[in-house]
Amino acid sequence: MSKETILEVSGLTKAFGGLTAVKAVDLTVQRGEILGVIGPNGAGKTTFFNVIAGSLPPTSGSVRFKGNDCTGMRADRMARLGMTRTFQITSLFPALSAIDNVRAATYRHKKTGWAAAILRNRAWQDEEADVDAEAMRALEFVDLGKRAHVNAEALSYGEQRRLEIAIAIAAKPELLLLDEPAAGMNPEEGQRLVSMIKRIRDEGISILLVEHHMRVVMGVCDRVAVIDHGEKIAEGKPLDVVNDPNVVRVYLGREAVHA
Amino acid sequence: MDYVVFAQQLTNGLVNGMTYVLIATGLTLVFGVLHIINFAHGEFYMLGAFFTYFAAKLLGLDYISAAVVATLGVAVLGIFANRLFFWPLRKEHEFTVLLSSLGLALLLTNGGELIFGADPKYVPSPFADSVFEVGQLIVTQQRVLIFVVGALVLFGLNLFIRHSRMGKMMRATAQNPEGAALSGVNIRQVYTVTFVLACGLAALAGALVGPTAMIFPTVGSWAVLKGFIVVILGGLGSIPGALIGGLTLGVVESLAGGYISLGFAQAIGYAIIIVVLLWRPQGLFGTARRT
Amino acid sequence: MSRKITIPVILLAALALPFMTANTYFHHLMVLWMLFSLLALSLNVIIGYIGELSFGHAAFFGIGAYTAAILGMHFGLAGIPGILLAAIVAGLFGFVIGYVSLRIVGPQFAILTLGFGSIIYTITNYWVDLTRGPMGISNIQPLGLWGGDGIALTSAIGYYYVILGCVVAFAYACHALMSSRTGRAFIATRENAPLAASLGIDVFRMKLLGFVVATAVAGVGGALYAHYLTVVTPDVMSMQYVAALIIMVIVGGRGTISGPIIGALIYVALLEALRALGPLRLVIFAALLTASVIFLPGGIVSLWRRITGADTPHQEGAQ
Repeated sequence: MSKETILEVSGLTKAFGGLTAVKAVDLTVQRGEILGVIGPNGAGKTTFFNVIAGSLPPTSGSVRFKGNDCTGMRADRMARLGMTRTFQITSLFPALSAIDNVRAATYRHKKTGWAAAILRNRAWQDEEADVDAEAMRALEFVDLGKRAHVNAEALSYGEQRRLEIAIAIAAKPELLLLDEPAAGMNPEEGQRLVSMIKRIRDEGISILLVEHHMRVVMGVCDRVAVIDHGEKIAEGKPLDVVNDPNVVRVYLGREAVHA
Repeated sequence: MDYVVFAQQLTNGLVNGMTYVLIATGLTLVFGVLHIINFAHGEFYMLGAFFTYFAAKLLGLDYISAAVVATLGVAVLGIFANRLFFWPLRKEHEFTVLLSSLGLALLLTNGGELIFGADPKYVPSPFADSVFEVGQLIVTQQRVLIFVVGALVLFGLNLFIRHSRMGKMMRATAQNPEGAALSGVNIRQVYTVTFVLACGLAALAGALVGPTAMIFPTVGSWAVLKGFIVVILGGLGSIPGALIGGLTLGVVESLAGGYISLGFAQAIGYAIIIVVLLWRPQGLFGTARRT
Repeated sequence: MSRKITIPVILLAALALPFMTANTYFHHLMVLWMLFSLLALSLNVIIGYIGELSFGHAAFFGIGAYTAAILGMHFGLAGIPGILLAAIVAGLFGFVIGYVSLRIVGPQFAILTLGFGSIIYTITNYWVDLTRGPMGISNIQPLGLWGGDGIALTSAIGYYYVILGCVVAFAYACHALMSSRTGRAFIATRENAPLAASLGIDVFRMKLLGFVVATAVAGVGGALYAHYLTVVTPDVMSMQYVAALIIMVIVGGRGTISGPIIGALIYVALLEALRALGPLRLVIFAALLTASVIFLPGGIVSLWRRITGADTPHQEGAQ
């Protein structure tokens, strides 16, 4: 595994009026790594995630992606640089079929536009064939190949969450930000998710995962950072972190660390 | 002399402004409480004027009784409008509701043309021809009536929303419909009352303004446009905003019409919409949330 | 029947249509149908593809019509350059208005377009030196190739074919759009703007692109209208036309290509068939709009799909 830094967060702070939700957090993600950010509910994880993903401007601090400063950059520009996010609450194109959901996601790395489609030239034909093939591949990756022509809104909850992942990987990001992907999943689905996340990394995509389900984080992450009251209180290998006295104290009485 | 002209323009502007306030208050109430943009709101103004005309003509009522009957009649129509065009769509996309209200607007305008005839009508009022003089200022009694009734009604509405049980339920619904429903607010009743109030206010405006101008069935689209301008100026959902916005628009239009040109006076209202929405989408005085 | 058969059949039928009757009044109605089809298709880009509602579309139609009329009056331009200029002028207005107002979306955007439309309408009414005010401009030259070169299109059938050509070309462009990267971005923007942005789609730019294309095509429609009727008054920008276009798109079926064309046919045909009913016609249209919004949000086209049992969504995505 190379040691190239893909995402570098330094001194990130976000205050809402008098309340500081994120306090001077430093964090780096290496290329090819799965980094988990955990913390009890209300610890500031979601705010942290939204600031990195560009949906909230930070109060201070910086976010660098592949060496470029992208602090407070608009989400679509960030995505074009190669950083794709998912949403905590299921976010799809509900009226479109599963395959059309994924087709739309290939936007970032495709080139031909409206004019080429009118002319039906070779470049357009080739690219449309690619789009179809890639979309189908992404659906099969999340075991939704047989559901390709079902409307997204008609899929089950678990299928919808998998479709979101298919959408995210069809954008072929270099870094994938996952916002509580296991929310609302039962243990079996959570297990399936863990193996899916590992396979995504095997495709060469680095992953930053914000989650409060310990089991998911422990099972999949190379490194874990713990946030409490907006501050990073621990960082390291999953097993080291769960035994860190600070972490134990924070989680004590709220949720069993070894759950 | 110049001073008198100015004062006269100002007075006319304030009176016109009070009409706008009455129209806009209903519009802003429906938006503020129910988050509905009612494109058909102006048609209830039109109906208020026509109902007054026909109540006076067919029932032989005097102007005041006719205006009261018309206002109440249109308020009752508001119940039906709500039950048919708005309540069933409360969970639908906002465009669906907007389009449904556009349908209602077209239905009422064209239905009005069919039933009332396209030719302009004149609502008789004993106050329309008597004037009220203060120094060199001349105002018809009808215009004084518009201003006074408008101010009283707004004051009453304010008391109702602040202190009555229903007013509290309306405010709760405005802030959080789901939360309000959970805590026992009868949303259905809130819808009904809001539409009754809004349609009644629009009709009252029509009944009051009717005697000062010709009325025709397409006047509703004029009224709703003025209403939109005021509501956007004052902030969608804000009643004090509608008051300040309406009076401001009336005065600005009157001065622009007097000193620049009539065409400019027409356009200035629309320009206000654009400038305000782009510069401060929440309205100049408004507290409504940014969407 | 597959697309490969239906499309040529429909095209042949459209080409043969004027020969079904020698009645020039019917030819006139066919021209109106095509004209409204073009306008409804252009509004459909806004309502159906980028998912915004415009209450100002008739203003761009009017801008196109006045551009053609004024160019013809002052410069004798009455041909293809005039139509292109009308498209450019309407598109420029669309660009400026879209650029400033598309930062706001939803119902507020609809009201903004209403405000801009009303301003354009008011200016047209009062700027008598340029537009001749409420009287409108009459004696507009008929359509030629380059204008003033002796070639002039005067028959309704001629206009029918010219506008049919425009409708077919634009319908094809819309069809191509739906199977292109740009079109997928439009639909993604309509369906879920935050998700679209997270996939690298510049939502504002997509909406602006759709809006400008729609307004430019409305400008073409306006220019053709001016040359065909040889008269244009500010009424073309009135609320009545705004409502008519919205009715065609919604009743026909937004987000589809056949929908707006069928909607235009329904509008023109009903308006004629019910002529005897007078003002009641418009009441019927209003009822149609409302009924469609409440009971058939996908429009008439979705009814067809429901009957044939195709399980496509009510708003057609990429196909």
